[in-house]
Amino acid sequence: MLDLPINETVTLADLTKDPYPIYKQMRAETPVVRVAQTNRIFVTTAEHTKWIKENPEVFSSDDPMTPMKPAFQAHTLMRKDGAEHRAERMAMQPSFSPKVIRSDWAALYEEIAERYVSQLPRGETVDLFSTLCGPVAARILAHMLGLEEATDDEMQRWSQRLIDGAGNFGRDPKLFAASDEANAEMNALFERIIPRHKAEPNNSAFSVMLRAAKPIPLSQMYANIKIAIGGGINEPRDALATIIYGLLTNPDQLEHVKKEQAWMDAFEEGIRWVAPIQVSGRRTTQDVQIGDVWVSKGETVMTIQASANRDEAIFDDGERFDVFRDKHPHQSFGSGPHHCAGAQIARRTLGNIMLPMLFDRFPNMQLPDPEQVIWSGFGFRGPLNLPVYLD
Amino acid sequence: MVSITFIQPDGAAQTVQATEGDSVMQTALNNNIAGIFAECGGAMMCATCHCYVEDDWSAQTGPKSDGEDDMLECAETEVTDASRLTCQIKVTPDLDGLVIRLPAELS
Repeated sequence: MLDLPINETVTLADLTKDPYPIYKQMRAETPVVRVAQTNRIFVTTAEHTKWIKENPEVFSSDDPMTPMKPAFQAHTLMRKDGAEHRAERMAMQPSFSPKVIRSDWAALYEEIAERYVSQLPRGETVDLFSTLCGPVAARILAHMLGLEEATDDEMQRWSQRLIDGAGNFGRDPKLFAASDEANAEMNALFERIIPRHKAEPNNSAFSVMLRAAKPIPLSQMYANIKIAIGGGINEPRDALATIIYGLLTNPDQLEHVKKEQAWMDAFEEGIRWVAPIQVSGRRTTQDVQIGDVWVSKGETVMTIQASANRDEAIFDDGERFDVFRDKHPHQSFGSGPHHCAGAQIARRTLGNIMLPMLFDRFPNMQLPDPEQVIWSGFGFRGPLNLPVYLD
Repeated sequence: MVSITFIQPDGAAQTVQATEGDSVMQTALNNNIAGIFAECGGAMMCATCHCYVEDDWSAQTGPKSDGEDDMLECAETEVTDASRLTCQIKVTPDLDGLVIRLPAELS
């Protein structure tokens, strides 16, 4: 048994700029390591990250100190374990099920995608990140949750403020003031539309929760919807931008994808390559051995799925975007009890609808200068812009 | 060892040896059985290990777990009275000879 190594040099700024060379080195030299500047233990191999997420008794999601609590003004299901977590999650899961995707969402999302794609200008360079990826993700989510009244801008602003608050480990009061304001706006909207959902129930998450035989408390319905807003926009947005970038910078692969209509493979590879959620934290409930080292009870362990997805033990040249690589499961949707509730809907929305439609309408789309694309993020990662020439 | 046969929608059958204490889902993964994805790793949160267990085996495989029906409602493939999540079936000596049918993908 070895002592837990300590990395004194890596900073949050390094990780935000480009974490991948750092993770590569960690996998090779210190696969379980305390990163001094974050005071958290980083776990970077696929075997360990998956094992940790699948053992919630030892690695709990419940973190009493999480900034998520003030950010969401609630203890949300993301930070609960066991039966309590299951009850809250299953309260809205029917809205995300393949059955409801087929009956309700597929046709509607096709229509929404058509609307946003057809509004794109031609003959100029357009930032697809801000004109398409964000707004279309916001509109789709608004319908899924039953918040049609909210504008795209509102949905995106709320989402960003919740995320900023949830990641506010430095407890900056300005960030919590901004998330408080967003909470007030969301609460007001939720309250206003309850009568509509009671009078005209549909398959949206809010409606399903409100009409359940044994409803969960209203406060937890609100918290669940906020979690979905916080998690349901940036992830499909960043995934879409990442996949478009991957395809446009690998034109040979794009041709092959078009020929084979391999959009779902492109989707899976894009989110493997750059996982929209890069890192998930767990708290140890007991002393535990991870690999060769011993970790004490009460430590925060960061499972780095971004690193697991490029682990040499599983992926050949994982640093490379390669739609046609040998298929192995990635960990972008996590594993265990907190496996992404939106996985199926994300696959269908992006893989079946958005990607084929976009490349059908703009077959000659180009990324004139990939160097202009700015990548950023430690917890959540993706391009911040995507200047694409549309003709 | 306990032998389990997996039958694909096209009729192709594969018989494998299972280890007692594993789940049927783990057995399928260990043997690369097509159609079992088990994305959540056995937490009963994804319904991607959905299969059919016919009547003649349902006594041995035992009753569904609490919440299994709710999760089956979220399965991608067609759910019938024979539907089970294979992560919830534990391999015991009684299951020697078990036949599992895999669901067909819906278009």
